[in-house]
Amino acid sequence: MNIATLTTRSGLPLLDFNSRPDPTSAFMMLAGAIAGGIGLAAVFINLFLDGHAAFNTSSDMAWGAPIAYYLFFLLTSSGLTIIASLDTVFGLRTFYPIAKRCVWLAIITLVAGFTILALELGHPFRMLWAMPTALQIYSPMWWMGALYSIDLVLLCVKFYLLHTENWNSRLTHHLSIVSFVVCILAPGTLGLVFGMMAMRPAWYSPVMPMYFILTGFMSAVAFVVFFTSLLRRENSAAAVVREHRRADEQLLHLYDMVLPRLFFVTLLAVIAMRVGQIITGLWSNYEGMEAHWKALESPLFHIEIWAGFILPAALMSTNALRANPKMQLLASVLFMVGIFSARLELLIVGQQVPLFKGYWADYVEYTPSFTEWMLVPAGFGIFLFLYGAGNWLLRLSESRVPERLPEPAH
Amino acid sequence: MARWGMVIDLEKCTGCQACTTACQMENNRLPGENWQDVLFYNEGEYPSGKLTWLPRPCMHCENPSCVAVCPTKATYKTEDGAVLINWERCIGCKYCMIACPYGVRFYAEEKQKTQPDIRKVYPGDSGKMWNPPYRMPEHKRNLKWGVGVQPKGVVSKCNFCYHRISQAPKGTPDLDPNDPKLRDFTPACVVTCAPTARYFGDLDNPKSKVRQLIAEKRGVRLQDQTGNRPQVYYLAGEAATIPETRSVRRKQS
Ligand code: SF4
Ligand code: SF4
Repeated sequence: MNIATLTTRSGLPLLDFNSRPDPTSAFMMLAGAIAGGIGLAAVFINLFLDGHAAFNTSSDMAWGAPIAYYLFFLLTSSGLTIIASLDTVFGLRTFYPIAKRCVWLAIITLVAGFTILALELGHPFRMLWAMPTALQIYSPMWWMGALYSIDLVLLCVKFYLLHTENWNSRLTHHLSIVSFVVCILAPGTLGLVFGMMAMRPAWYSPVMPMYFILTGFMSAVAFVVFFTSLLRRENSAAAVVREHRRADEQLLHLYDMVLPRLFFVTLLAVIAMRVGQIITGLWSNYEGMEAHWKALESPLFHIEIWAGFILPAALMSTNALRANPKMQLLASVLFMVGIFSARLELLIVGQQVPLFKGYWADYVEYTPSFTEWMLVPAGFGIFLFLYGAGNWLLRLSESRVPERLPEPAH
Repeated sequence: MARWGMVIDLEKCTGCQACTTACQMENNRLPGENWQDVLFYNEGEYPSGKLTWLPRPCMHCENPSCVAVCPTKATYKTEDGAVLINWERCIGCKYCMIACPYGVRFYAEEKQKTQPDIRKVYPGDSGKMWNPPYRMPEHKRNLKWGVGVQPKGVVSKCNFCYHRISQAPKGTPDLDPNDPKLRDFTPACVVTCAPTARYFGDLDNPKSKVRQLIAEKRGVRLQDQTGNRPQVYYLAGEAATIPETRSVRRKQS
């Protein structure tokens, strides 16, 4: 069976090898392959030579940068699934044009995150049998692993259904509902992995799941704004129409109004939540909370707050700014950088005050090693390569044919 | 079934670290990765300042958070009260290191604090992290108990010398190192402690010395607010104190 000759119901090729990749997709695949190749090679070589001693993590800072990168990708993925569900579950027609792109983005961010995790674990392959056979229902990590695995399978099936033009089928609708539920539960349990740890007061918080779901959604909005503003580099309606192969008022409305506003409003919610965390942290006298004071000295904290939150909020604060694709691009990149720092900062804050190591121990200092940094090009390389490939082969701008639209589900 | 526990008398403990060294030898620990350690605390300021210390094994908690978080059930509680790690199941996710309030766990694959890296000087074979020149006899090594030279990619911690205590005759109330018949079944740190500050016995046996000491000398558990309920008790008596265990103190302005 030759995969290149398979077609969907209406005769479109399953993988569109006949079309030529547009320059952006080609560039992404090339850049992704180079960055991913270099990153993975560096990590593999160093892990082979030194094992995990190539990381700067220690018994006091057991989870370091790789876990932060992993959080970044997994939470973004869940947010993207929520955006895709706005269409396929809640019938918000405005979001039809980006649903398929979001599902693909959700799959590849998961793949990038899982790859990084596999390189961080002591025995990644053992996990494949040891976790399913353990059924340790008390462990939030066990639930997190189970839910994200289910999430990946559901997303792949959902993408296949959309790709084979099953937009309107009952199966797609039901599957989308299940996938939506899972993509709320999965980042929620990931929040519990941190939020339930009473012995780590800087993490201990019943709202950690909510914080993870919200910031995941926010980074997903930033991803979508980023990638759709790339589609419109020429800053013209013509580019949108060409990409989606139809002229549609709704499309422009989505790109110029809905997404940037969603970006702005969600960002305000993130800021409100974060301010609450910071004030609680600085005020509290409880052991472990002094890490919040220590965080004020860290550049990561300031990148997060000023460059990642305040500046993008200002950039998206008026209608005129919001409709400008260049501003959208800038704001979304800034937020992504900010939230990336925030993930690492979160990891450090919870472990900075050593647990029970005597008074001669001080704050645990941690900066990622070269090998840990190389996981960044590795993860983003995999992501970019798969995104470029998807853009080229999988018709990501495709959406439901308008005349077949059902009434929005109630 | 016994429920093993330890009592450490801080009035007798001199902070000499003999227990740490004995544990290092018994369990082939890497330098700095002390399953058993003595923690030091400064209390007060000159001229009334003083130095206090606290020997710290794994607490083998009654309600161990490390067991609850382990996604593979590699960390488990035995019927006789020890908390062990099955090195054949551990995936090295390090969640248990996050969740243990007492900071007693180690991941072997980290940068060594002392150079040269002893693991490179004595490289390991057949899945061993390293090959120390003096090491526990092979027949005592038990991966399911986390006993012996550690494999790569897993977490380790004090196992109450499970290779010793599990061989003790059933029904023994106390493993007293001064009794030649019981000495080999007693944890190495207890055997070696010169001022006999450590006691090891069955917390469920009404006749045991450890129970009597906890009752009569007001044994306390550390960080009881965590709810982990350690099976290691400390006696402060009149001459010693339980140090304020906070490690980082923010300056008050
Ligand atoms: S002291 Fe830590 S490692 Fe030991 S049983 Fe308690 S929680 Fe587990
Ligand atoms: S590192 Fe090993 S023992 Fe610790 S939680 Fe993970 S699998 Fe369990």
